[in-house]
Amino acid sequence: MASALSLVRPVVTTHPSGHAEREPVGEDALVDRARRGDVDAFERLYQLHAGRVHALCLRLAGQPMEARELVQDTFVHAWEALPRFRGESSLTTWLHRIAVNAMLERRRRDRRRSARVSLAGDEDEVEGAPLGGGSVPPADVATAIDLERAIAALPPGVRRAFVLHEVEGYSHEEVAGMTGLATGTLRAQLHRARQLLIRALSL
Amino acid sequence: MSEHPSSDDRLDELTAALPREIAPPPELWGSIRAELTPRRGRAWWASGWRLAAAGLVVAVSSSLATITVMRLRERAPMVASAPRAAVPATPRATEAPPLPAQLVSTEQQYVRSVEALRRKLDERRDSLAPSTVATVERSLRIADSAIAEARAALERDPSNAVLAALFASNYERKIDVLRRAAELAPRT
Repeated sequence: MASALSLVRPVVTTHPSGHAEREPVGEDALVDRARRGDVDAFERLYQLHAGRVHALCLRLAGQPMEARELVQDTFVHAWEALPRFRGESSLTTWLHRIAVNAMLERRRRDRRRSARVSLAGDEDEVEGAPLGGGSVPPADVATAIDLERAIAALPPGVRRAFVLHEVEGYSHEEVAGMTGLATGTLRAQLHRARQLLIRALSL
Repeated sequence: MSEHPSSDDRLDELTAALPREIAPPPELWGSIRAELTPRRGRAWWASGWRLAAAGLVVAVSSSLATITVMRLRERAPMVASAPRAAVPATPRATEAPPLPAQLVSTEQQYVRSVEALRRKLDERRDSLAPSTVATVERSLRIADSAIAEARAALERDPSNAVLAALFASNYERKIDVLRRAAELAPRT
């Protein structure tokens, strides 16, 4: 699969070790204003969080057009739901949950629309699944972009598990809560994701 | 420590080096902003009688507008209006006569929004005063009646752009009533 991720240039590179949540100064005030209908405040929140949400959506979707739609769905829904956001989780986590839900809803809708075997099958049947149709880059160019490509080529369910747990740093329980997967299934998907990525990158 | 990290370690290193942020296309905010529905302050709506008044305004204005448009239409039946595409049979939850395709799609979106807000309101129902719930329900029935009226008029005159706008506007108002009701403070 020719991943379009390579076409997207990361503009901010942040080392994710520790997975610290970014809570900019004044974010609470922006949330309050946006709750009351201040679109400018919401735009500021968008500017603060769009990069992370887009990165997540890009990795979950595996291709940029759907990622863009997911980001749009996420922020439109966030605007509608913001009056009920009580700050029990960080805004980042809350937005990520909305993004994951939007993506799962799309998958459900897609499945209802089409009973294509390939779509239904690649959720769980990852045994022997080709990774990117042979287009996975060789080990000698195993850079971050290669890893992005390899992640994008993972089967959707496996990819989702890997992105949320390994890239975004959510715990097994949190990912299970977001995706509705049993933790056992999640662990199996994570194991499979690592196997596929190691093989694809010849690590 | 080994000089040759294991495959798992190497994968972890690469994963940790991935960018956490990737800027979305610059024009995306414009698309999002276009979809944001305006929100007004809560205070104005923080009482049941105002909801009732809103419902009444929706009903009266919609009915008057529908009647006016239909009468004008009857008096001037030759007024040109852009022809619209034939209506595909789009399935709906209820039996619905055909509308122009664009309106069918619009209505489906409205219905989804209404259903979502309905669910939210239902979740909060117990925290609202019974009199407020009754007022909200009355307002919604009135709004439904206004929508049905505009819809019936549109079915008779599907190419009437004014009726189409009125139809959409009635949905907007219903959604507005629902949204404000869902945001009401407990026991108001």
